[in-house]
Amino acid sequence: MSAAGALGVVLLVLAIAPAFALHGGALRLRVPLWIAASGAALATVIAVRVVAGGSTIALGLWSPAPYADLALRLDPLGAAFAAIIGGTAVFASVFGTAYAHPRRVDDAAYPLFILAMLMVTGAANVFTFLVAWEGMALTSFLLVLGDGDQRPRRHAAVLYLGMTHLATVLAAAAFFLVAHEAGSTDFAKMAGAHLSGARASVVFVLAVIGFGTKAGLIPFHIWLPRAHPVAPSHVSALMSGAMVKTGIYGILRVSFVLLGPGEHWWGIALIFAGCISAILGVLYALMEHDFKRVLAYSTVENVGIITVALGAALVFRSYGLDAAAAAALLAALIHAVNHAAFKTLLFLGAGAVQRSAHTLNIDRCGGLIHAMPVTGGAVLVGSLAIAGLPPLNGFVGEWMLLRSLVSLAGSPVGSVAGATAVLALGGLALVGGLALACFVRLFGITFLGAPRSDEAASAREPHPLMYGVLATLAVICVAGGAGAPALVRLLRPVATSLLSARGAAVEPWHGIALDTGGSLSPAVIALCLVVAAPLPWLAIRAIFGRTSRSSGPVWSTGVSFRPSMQYTGVSFSKPVRLFFRRVLLPERQVLVSYHGTSPLPRLVKYSGRVPALFEERFYLPARGAAIWSAGRIRLLQNGSVQVYLLYLMAALVTLLVVAR
Amino acid sequence: MSIADAAMLAVLQLGALAGVAPLLNGLIRKVKARLQYRQGPPLLQNYYDLGKWWSRSEQVATSTSFVHRCAPAGVLATTLAATLFLPVFSWHTPLSSAGDLFVVVALFALGRALLTLGGMDSGSSFGQMGSSREVAVGALVEPILILSLVTLAIGADSTRLGEIVRVAAGQGGSAITPGWILAAAGFAVVLVAETGRIPVDNPDTHLELTMIHEAMLIEYSGRSLGMLHFSALLKQAILVVLLANVFLPFGLTAAGTGGHAIAAALVVGKVAGVGIGLAIVESVLAKTRLFELPDLLGMAAFATLLGAALVVLA
Repeated sequence: MSAAGALGVVLLVLAIAPAFALHGGALRLRVPLWIAASGAALATVIAVRVVAGGSTIALGLWSPAPYADLALRLDPLGAAFAAIIGGTAVFASVFGTAYAHPRRVDDAAYPLFILAMLMVTGAANVFTFLVAWEGMALTSFLLVLGDGDQRPRRHAAVLYLGMTHLATVLAAAAFFLVAHEAGSTDFAKMAGAHLSGARASVVFVLAVIGFGTKAGLIPFHIWLPRAHPVAPSHVSALMSGAMVKTGIYGILRVSFVLLGPGEHWWGIALIFAGCISAILGVLYALMEHDFKRVLAYSTVENVGIITVALGAALVFRSYGLDAAAAAALLAALIHAVNHAAFKTLLFLGAGAVQRSAHTLNIDRCGGLIHAMPVTGGAVLVGSLAIAGLPPLNGFVGEWMLLRSLVSLAGSPVGSVAGATAVLALGGLALVGGLALACFVRLFGITFLGAPRSDEAASAREPHPLMYGVLATLAVICVAGGAGAPALVRLLRPVATSLLSARGAAVEPWHGIALDTGGSLSPAVIALCLVVAAPLPWLAIRAIFGRTSRSSGPVWSTGVSFRPSMQYTGVSFSKPVRLFFRRVLLPERQVLVSYHGTSPLPRLVKYSGRVPALFEERFYLPARGAAIWSAGRIRLLQNGSVQVYLLYLMAALVTLLVVAR
Repeated sequence: MSIADAAMLAVLQLGALAGVAPLLNGLIRKVKARLQYRQGPPLLQNYYDLGKWWSRSEQVATSTSFVHRCAPAGVLATTLAATLFLPVFSWHTPLSSAGDLFVVVALFALGRALLTLGGMDSGSSFGQMGSSREVAVGALVEPILILSLVTLAIGADSTRLGEIVRVAAGQGGSAITPGWILAAAGFAVVLVAETGRIPVDNPDTHLELTMIHEAMLIEYSGRSLGMLHFSALLKQAILVVLLANVFLPFGLTAAGTGGHAIAAALVVGKVAGVGIGLAIVESVLAKTRLFELPDLLGMAAFATLLGAALVVLA
C-alpha cells in the first residue's frame, strides 16, 4: 500500500470511529477508543517514516469549490508533529479504555479530536488548516465541557473556547497576509512569497500571538490551568502533550517556511517571551496544589523552553548561521517530543491517582507509593525526566538548548543577541532549579510520607491496563534519554528540509555532537550512574561486612506521629514563595479573635493565596470593559422599529457619502 | 586519549578525590577550630566517623519506601559520576566528549532530587523542612553556578571543563578580566551554599531550625547515613577542585609533559588553600536568616550575569 493510501486509511478509521459510540454495547466495550488507538498507531508509523525518509506525502481529499480545497501534504516538519500527536494519542487512548467513563458525546468527539490534530499538521493549504484547526478547537471544547454539570467546568470550557478563537483569528490573519502577497492559499506556493520587512514582521507577530495562545505562552496561557484540570486525564494528556504542540508547529511553519530569514529581533523577542513563560510558568506550578494544575503550568514552562530554542534558531538563521540554527531547532524538536512523553505519563499518572485516591488535591494525598508502587515508580521517572535530570530524556533537549545558547553568546552576532543569550542561560538555569523543586514537591507530597486522608490511605493500584501504560511510558522516558542520538538522527531531516544544515552529528559511543561544538553522550552518563550506584555499597559491604537493618516508627520529637504533622504542598513551597514574593505577590490574611479582654487569642484564622496576576490584573478588567461597552452599544437596540429604519437610512446615507 | 588511559585516569581521579575528600573537610574543621581557640577534632576524624557509620546497623522508619532506601546509593553515584568530568591533575578529563559543565551541574541536580526525596519519604516534618529549603536554595544557586562557569566557557568557546582549563592556563595572567572576577566571586558563593556552610547553612549544628542539610538526613542511620555524609564530603571536594582548577588554572599541564608530580602538588596546595579560605570565611561571617538568603544569592546571580555579559560585549 502506498503511503498516501495508508494516510487515507488513518483518516477513514478515525472518521468512522465515532459511529461506534452510537451503539451502547460498542460504547461499553470502548470500541471508539480502541479504534482511535489503532488509527493513531498507524499514523505514528507513517509520520515516523516520512520524517526519517525526508519525503512528502500528498493526498487530495475533497474540492467542492476552487477556494475550498481539502488537501493534505505531510512534509517532514508536519510529520514530526504528527508523530508526536499520534504517539501521545496511542497511550492516551489505551489508558482511556480503562479510565474514561463511557459517554456518547465524549467517545464520539475523541477520535475526531485526534483526526483534526493530525490534519492540522498535514494541511496543504490555508483552507484545510483552518478547517482542521477549528475542528480541533470544537472537539476539544466538547471534551473539556463533558457533561458540564459543574460550574468550573463550564467556565473553563467557555474560557477555552474564547481563547482558542482568539488564536484562530490571529493565525488566520497571518496566513491571509502571506496568501494575499503570494496570490495563493497553497502553503507550497506561499513559501515563495517575499514579504517586505514591515509586512513580514506583522505576519510574524500575529503568528506568534495566535499560535502562542494555543501553545500557552504567557500572557495568553490563562486557559491551560483551567481547561487541563477539568478535562478527563487522557484528554488532558492529549491536549498538553500534543495539542499545544500544534501552536509550536504553527510558529515554525510561519517563521521558517512561509517567511524568509527575517529580522534579528524576531528571535530575540521569542527568546524573551519563552524565558518569561518558562520562569513564571514554573513559579505558578510551584504554587498550585491541584495535581493537574501543577502539570498545566508546567506545560506553560516547557512551551517556554521550546520557544527559547525556536528563538535561538531564528536569531542564528537571521545571521545566516544555518548550522547553528539547525542545532537549536533540533533542540526544540527533541524537547517537544520528550515533553510529549513525560507530560503524557504525568497526566495519565494524575488520572490513576484520581481513580485510586479520589482526589487531585496533593495536600490530601501522601504515601501513595506503598499502595501504588508501579504508578508511583512511573510518576517518579516522569518527575525526574521533566525536571531535566540526566540520564532521562528531558535532559537531552535542555542540554542542546543550553549548549546552543553558549554558542550564541560566543558567536559574533552582535551584542544584543549575545546578551540575550546570557540572560536566557541564567533564566533557564533558574527554571531548571525551580522545576526540580516543583516536581520533588509534586512527587514527594503525593506519593511519599504518610497518607493525609482516608481516601489516600485506602488507595489501591488502578486497572492493570492503566499502570501498564504508565510503566511503558516510564521505559520510554528512560530509553529516550540513553537513546537520544537515535532521536537526533530521526529528526535531522526536518532541520535539513528547513535550513539545509543538519545541526548535529551522531558519534560512536552513542554521542550527540552539535555542529556548533559541544558533545554529549547520554548513554555513557547512564552507564556511569548504573555502575556507580551499587559499587560503593558493595565495596562498603566487602570491607565492613554485612549489617542488620531494623525498622521503627518515624522520630517526631518524642510525641506520637500524626500524618497532619507533615509538610503540605503549601508549606513546602513557602521558601520559594518568600524568595519570589515580589514576582508572585502572595496575599495572606490573619484574623485573631480574643476572649473579652484576655490577651490570649481565642481563635486564629489564617488564609493565604497566590493571585493569578494576569487574570486578575489584565483579563478581568478587559472583560469588565467589554461588558461595559456592550451595555453602551446595547442602547442602540431599543426595540422601536422606526428607530431601526432610521439606522438603515443613516447607514445608507453614510455609505453613499463614503463610497461616492 | 585511549580508552585504557581514560579508564586509568578515571580510577586515579575517583580514588584521589574520594580518598582526600574527608581529609579536606578535616582540614577545614581544624582551621576553623583553631581560629576559635579550640583544639578541634583530629584531622582524620572524618575517616573514623565514616568507618563507624559504615560498620553499624541501621534503623529505618516504617513509613519509608524504596525511595528512602535507594537514595543514598543514588546520591553517591551522581557525585562519583561528576568526578569523571573534572580536570583534576591536568586538563585531561576521563570522559571529555561525553559531557561538559552542564552535565556536572545536572548530576548535582539529580543528586539533590534524590536526596530531597529521600528526606521527604519518612513523613518526618524535619526531613520535609530540610528538603523544602534545599530545593529553594538550590533553585537560586543553579543560575549562579551555570553563569559563572559559562562566563569562562564563552571565552574558551567550549563548555568542556578540561578545554576551559586548557585555554585559561594558556592565557596566564591575562585570563583575569572583570568578567573572570565576577564569575569567581559567584562561584565562591556557590561553594559556600552547596556545601552547606555559613552564611547559608551551618554544618556544625544538628536539630536547629535553621538547618538544611542535616534535616534531610534525620531519618538516616548507619550505613546509609555514612554514604550520604561521604557524598556531601565528595561534593565539597569536587567544588573546591573546580574553584582551584577552573578559576586558578596555573600549574596545570597536559598529561605526559613530565610535570605530573609538580602539577599534583600544586593542585593539592591550591585545594588546601581554598579549604583554609573557606574556613576563614566561615569563621568571620554570621549565619544569615533563611529568608534573607535571596539578598546574598540574588546579588551573586546578578554579579555573574554582569560578568557573563561583560565577556560577551568585550
